[in-house]
Amino acid sequence: MSEVIDFKIRWGMVIDLDKCTGCGACMVACQAENNLAPQVDASNKLRALNWLTVYRLSNGKPFPEHEVAYLPRPCMQCGKPSCVSVCPVVATDKREEGGIVSQIPPRCIGCRYCMASCPYHARYFNWYDPKWPGDLDRTLTPDVSTRPRGVVEKCSFCHHRWMHAKDAAILKGEDPMDLPDGAYVTACAEACPNGAITFGDLNNPKHKVHELKQSPHAFRLLERLGTDPQVYYMSKREWIRRQGDNYLEHEATGDNKKV
Amino acid sequence: MNRRGFLKFAAGGTVGLVASPIIWNTLYDAVYWTQNWGWIPRIPRGDSTYIPTISKLCPSGTGIRVRLVDGQPVRALSDPGNPLSRGALTALAAVETQLMVSPARLKDPLRRTPDGALVAISWEEAETLLKEKLAEAKGSTACISGDPTSTINELLSSLVESRGSADFYFMPDDEQAALTAWDAMGGLGRLGYDVDNSDFILAIGANMLESWGTVARNRKSFSAKRPAGQDARMKFAYAGPVQNNTAAGADWWLPCRDGMEMELALGIAHLLIKTGHAVPSAGFDDFKAIVAEYTPEKVAELTGVDAARLTEVTRALAQAEKPLVLVGSSLGAGGGAGAVMAGIAVNMLLGRVGKEGGLVNLPFPSPVVAGASDYRAVRKRNLVAWSQSVASGEIKAPRVLLLYEANPLYALPFNSGMEEVFAKSGFKIAMASFLSESCAKCDLVLPAAMGLERFDDCYTPYGSGEVSWCISHPLVKPFYNSRPMGEVLIALAKELDVEVGVKDMPELLYKKAYSLGADFRKMVETGAVFQKKAGGAFSVPVYNAEAIKVALTLKKETTPLNLVPVVVLGMGTAQTGIPPFATKIIMEYQLAGHYSVAQMNAATADRLGVRKGSRVTVRRGEVKIPALVDIFEGVLPDAVALSAGLGHTAFDQFSRNKGSNIMTLTSITREPGTGLPVWSSAGVSVDKV
Repeated sequence: MSEVIDFKIRWGMVIDLDKCTGCGACMVACQAENNLAPQVDASNKLRALNWLTVYRLSNGKPFPEHEVAYLPRPCMQCGKPSCVSVCPVVATDKREEGGIVSQIPPRCIGCRYCMASCPYHARYFNWYDPKWPGDLDRTLTPDVSTRPRGVVEKCSFCHHRWMHAKDAAILKGEDPMDLPDGAYVTACAEACPNGAITFGDLNNPKHKVHELKQSPHAFRLLERLGTDPQVYYMSKREWIRRQGDNYLEHEATGDNKKV
Repeated sequence: MNRRGFLKFAAGGTVGLVASPIIWNTLYDAVYWTQNWGWIPRIPRGDSTYIPTISKLCPSGTGIRVRLVDGQPVRALSDPGNPLSRGALTALAAVETQLMVSPARLKDPLRRTPDGALVAISWEEAETLLKEKLAEAKGSTACISGDPTSTINELLSSLVESRGSADFYFMPDDEQAALTAWDAMGGLGRLGYDVDNSDFILAIGANMLESWGTVARNRKSFSAKRPAGQDARMKFAYAGPVQNNTAAGADWWLPCRDGMEMELALGIAHLLIKTGHAVPSAGFDDFKAIVAEYTPEKVAELTGVDAARLTEVTRALAQAEKPLVLVGSSLGAGGGAGAVMAGIAVNMLLGRVGKEGGLVNLPFPSPVVAGASDYRAVRKRNLVAWSQSVASGEIKAPRVLLLYEANPLYALPFNSGMEEVFAKSGFKIAMASFLSESCAKCDLVLPAAMGLERFDDCYTPYGSGEVSWCISHPLVKPFYNSRPMGEVLIALAKELDVEVGVKDMPELLYKKAYSLGADFRKMVETGAVFQKKAGGAFSVPVYNAEAIKVALTLKKETTPLNLVPVVVLGMGTAQTGIPPFATKIIMEYQLAGHYSVAQMNAATADRLGVRKGSRVTVRRGEVKIPALVDIFEGVLPDAVALSAGLGHTAFDQFSRNKGSNIMTLTSITREPGTGLPVWSSAGVSVDKV
């Protein structure tokens, strides 16, 4: 499936990098919500499995001009996802209203083409048997199936929460396709104590993200690749925005763009 | 057998094998064992319920909403209804339910056998032993509590007092220094910080967006006043030796050597007085004379903070409507009272004491358990001073040492004397939920029910701006063979004929609620929080110049390299170890395999002849810890930053064999004047391997 679908709803995030302090609460919440197995040694980041990773950014200047920032990176749920077109078994797709790129582990054959094609390194391979030592499996949530070794996983924007939000709207007699702002939020957005992650429908003017994505300080990662990500970042700091893409020296971002 | 016979046998065997089900069954089994993952757990089914409560693991008493599926707690979610944390969740509170079933959880009472092993025993045996030992130990019992917010402390102190002893201590934290400082400056209660109503916060050493004080409230306040896409309604500056998580959220970072917080505060006071900001109070002239020599240039030399940047931040601080200056230590303990006194003095100069958005005075809690020591008296006792005296033989070691949710063997510096206290004490008892380093050295270990399995409370954690009181109540029966320690202690008191005045924990909390004027039933049923504005008895603080002057004579150890501890709450506390889900949030610049990572800036690395990935040993005296170098320009020159919370030797596989414990590199000195044991500055060497 490689045609681009125009969805009525496009779930997305705007992550304010000036508010993120890199505590990791989002990563912890994501693991607990989506039944990711804990890893005894996760210091090899190439083999650690996360749906959301927080990266530390540096402005590259020496002390004392140095500045630091943190960048949480979920799946970008691209409008034109490069992973979908390369999947030989249609284990990943983008055709459901809401624009969330699906990932179906039982269908995945573990070829990892999608990982190679994803420019955001948002996909992870299950190198090891997932293990919940002792009784840790008692804290599995009922919303997300556990996955075996040998398949690729990725962030689903806590898709099950959307299902629940739609069910709740139907029970209340409301339109499930016009959820109010905040009726559906991801576990990471909910957990962030700094309020750095705002989640909502990018197409819906009643949702905060609709306004935030239009900020002159908003940008997307590697935007010029044409992947049309549904995750936006924002920062008032030029050096952070410049790390979002490969800019030439004379190109500006933020208030002074367009590139 | 001849050749013909062999061929017949081989052919017959092959035909027989192919005709038999062996091959097909083996292939089937191979598929079964390699492709079907029967051991992957199935997800639970059942109705979900959501119950508001608090996290007893997070030191700031974060409000959480627990999701139970078919009665089993599966998630700790943020609770927007909690008026303190208002929906903010810390990385530690988020794993409350996972820690309830973590491999490090104590499952049964354990007793040390003559051959040194800890073996499981029954509760009957454990309680008999507990009663026996405490009955024998009259006049010689000591207790250390690691949870200063719980009313269970009153039961513990009542029991200790009933044994004729006053040795009930809290694990060291920043409140000890704050209380000493506030006392010295004329404050009558507990020092509070009205973070919510401030419009400019300068945090000196206090890692307030990650681990200091009421961190969830701090961060919610930070979030609310700096809404995404809008102008900030609160400015924020952080002074510390490393660009840690707090610095990442700050408008200004003032790179200040660890342990030099007092000198920095005096430098700010100097500039404020110079620019005419001086709210007078008793002792002002003497204080002015002290700070006269703390010019920006001198402060730059002492602390490393650039004079121009200090001036810029001080100017912004003075221009703010409701500024607030907080002082803390990078480890959350071991800081001196002198630095806090200097911080209070800066707030006084700005006229921010007893004001909305400034420093506030909070009342001490009144004990409700008969025979319990009052909070202030306990706070005035110093654990480290006691342990060092026991170690040196000045005072006798207790016959019974009782630990409640405390892990002093891991969390204190090497010369705290705690190892000697353990060696000399007669019988050591631990009440804890996890098998910590200290539990592993005890003679009797009692598995404590956790916050979601017991009645407990959280009274006004340090760093609060108002009086608050929250209750945790059992959402599930205690897992494994654990029991609520409150109930165990009340039963023990009864056995020992100690009158504590309550028959169970609900009655104790009811009495507490009554003393505060709170609605206990409503709090249990709805998760409501009792809140009361700061105020009450208050006196105008004084510039205690003499105390500041004496405290300034403390010798700071910052050379050859200033050791910079980096605390991240997500990596757990001394009591919890590293939670299972935290291994993935430990970054490559904190831990590399089994090695701690030593972060330093490029200039420092060049001077030492090391580069990224170099193997080094960080040394202080005889103590050496191995580390790998990482280059990070957010560290002061001539400083090396190492993560705290690593190097556990107990708990479980998620905590053990991960880096080294930096507490081994710190050592205790006494602050002149106050006599407080301090360990906030340490000088280390880095040697290339």
